[in-house]
Amino acid sequence: MTILTGKAEAPRRLLVRSGVLRKTWDHRADYAYVLPAIAVMLIVIAYPIYYTIELSFFNTPPGLQLRDKIFVGLDNYTAILKSPVFWTVTSNTLIWTIGSTFVSFVLGFASALALHRDFAGRAILRAVLIIPWVISAVAASYIWKWIYHSDVGIIGAVLVSLGLTDRPPNFIDSVSTVLPSLIVVNIWREFPFAMIMMMAGLQTVPDQLLRAAKVDGANAWQRFWHVTFPHVRNVSTVTILLLAVANFNSFIIPWIMTGGGPSNASHIWITHIYELAFGRQRWGVASAYSVLLFLILMSFGYFYVRALSGNERKDGSE
Amino acid sequence: MSTIAETAHRGQARRRVRIDGWRWGGRIFLLFMLLYTTLPMIWMLITSIKSGFAALQFPPQWWPDQPTLASYQKLLDPQNSVGQDFLRFFWNSLFVSTATTVLSVIVAVPAAYAFSRFTFPGRNFLFFAVLLRNMFPAVIFLVPLFILMRAIGLVNTHGSLILTYLTFGLPLAIWLLKGFYDNIPVQLEQAARIDGATRFQAFVLIVMPLSAPGIIATAIYSFIGAWNEYIYAYTFLSKNDQLTLPVGIQRFFSENTTDFPGLMAASFMMSVPVVVLFLVLQRYFVRALTEGAVKH
Repeated sequence: MTILTGKAEAPRRLLVRSGVLRKTWDHRADYAYVLPAIAVMLIVIAYPIYYTIELSFFNTPPGLQLRDKIFVGLDNYTAILKSPVFWTVTSNTLIWTIGSTFVSFVLGFASALALHRDFAGRAILRAVLIIPWVISAVAASYIWKWIYHSDVGIIGAVLVSLGLTDRPPNFIDSVSTVLPSLIVVNIWREFPFAMIMMMAGLQTVPDQLLRAAKVDGANAWQRFWHVTFPHVRNVSTVTILLLAVANFNSFIIPWIMTGGGPSNASHIWITHIYELAFGRQRWGVASAYSVLLFLILMSFGYFYVRALSGNERKDGSE
Repeated sequence: MSTIAETAHRGQARRRVRIDGWRWGGRIFLLFMLLYTTLPMIWMLITSIKSGFAALQFPPQWWPDQPTLASYQKLLDPQNSVGQDFLRFFWNSLFVSTATTVLSVIVAVPAAYAFSRFTFPGRNFLFFAVLLRNMFPAVIFLVPLFILMRAIGLVNTHGSLILTYLTFGLPLAIWLLKGFYDNIPVQLEQAARIDGATRFQAFVLIVMPLSAPGIIATAIYSFIGAWNEYIYAYTFLSKNDQLTLPVGIQRFFSENTTDFPGLMAASFMMSVPVVVLFLVLQRYFVRALTEGAVKH
């Protein structure tokens, strides 16, 4: 073989020798299938990430006159950490993300459990409960804005007619109630997602095990805790992570309903970044924020990938 | 003897009562969730058939004295300036969403197939890159994409939206479709290969038809995502005749904030296409969504 291989074939021989390159060469036809996808992802994902990191070290004048940008090192980052708004926005983001995620998950899981048993009208009920998740967040924002309206809102009217208050409360115009009010809207849109995921998870719980536990005298709570829950733990982890990421990244509901107000009480990271960039044209600071956001989400991503591969390992052993 | 029987009987009865307790708890909970889910939408519908004047009464009318479809007529009337705008936004949304869906599917189908079947180097890295993309919000990409779109002259065109919608449509489509391909037995393709088909032929003739439900589900998912997208459209488009529905509705009613019946009617009309799509095809849709998370 080696005798037959002439000098002209040297590059080819090099490819053959080294493992990765050889495999890459052998699988060259496979890449044709993924190439269009990779090309799109490079243009619209990899390039923007690179550009955001670069821009985070610069000051740019308003209007994005990029030729006039000035290198400022880490100034944008220190400016963020020194700003008092940063801490308001961060605590809002935490309350928003944790509150929305926790309640959405609990309501979604409970709905999935209640829908697990067959009864007349179950399919219709399930479909109806999913609808808030399908309709546009913009429409949802307007519907709830109207419901919360401080003069003619329906909740205020009900509270007044029950004699609980003299005049309708300012749900989304008051600093103390705005964030919880928006979280209620967000949960309204998000719990169906948890419900769908957990319904799928519940289908993997073996019926025999539940029946065996019942025969052994386990009560409903014990059956749930010792049989059902261990089987859906991985799905729960993935669902909670996806919900947390989605909530962390929410934009439409706070932006349309309050625009972050009153006095930043409903500004979360995402809306704050948007305002910094397109409202106040502070592109450098907004980019630095984006880089920090990116790092936070990467750590979410780490757990997500770990939870997913946990799923696969478990499947492999079964 | 009779006491033993009685006790046993009573015990059984008590257990039945307890089980019923759980069942009733579940039903009451579901009723609560049903009200939470539907009351806002019902209130949207009721408001949309009020007159502008009736909508601003306090306390509100639970049911309008004079229900009217005037808001809907206005939105659907091409002679009316409101209707002209609304219908144009509607068609813009339809065009952008359809184009995004078609492109996502065309690019995602072969990629998902490759991720499911082939073991080329870099496969895992690329697939996780795809998965991770779902975690990043539009805002992170907004500034650089805005600069990019401006540089290539796509700002204020639907092209900029279609291209950027692929950023979220594509990773999701690849992820959903891969789950479907994983469930199609490889043996079917191998049989076709033995009969003389090339690998590409086996993919197009055998695998594609079998994955039709998955492709439909993926297409619906892309369509709904694009139809409801707001932030890119809000940032990239400024000319009134190009706006898509979510942004159009906002522009439209910020000028006249008291027309709540009109706003509710528009919200309803915007929701109709996606809800109908979803209800008709929800079986595929739910299956596709959950396939990846709870694979067997």
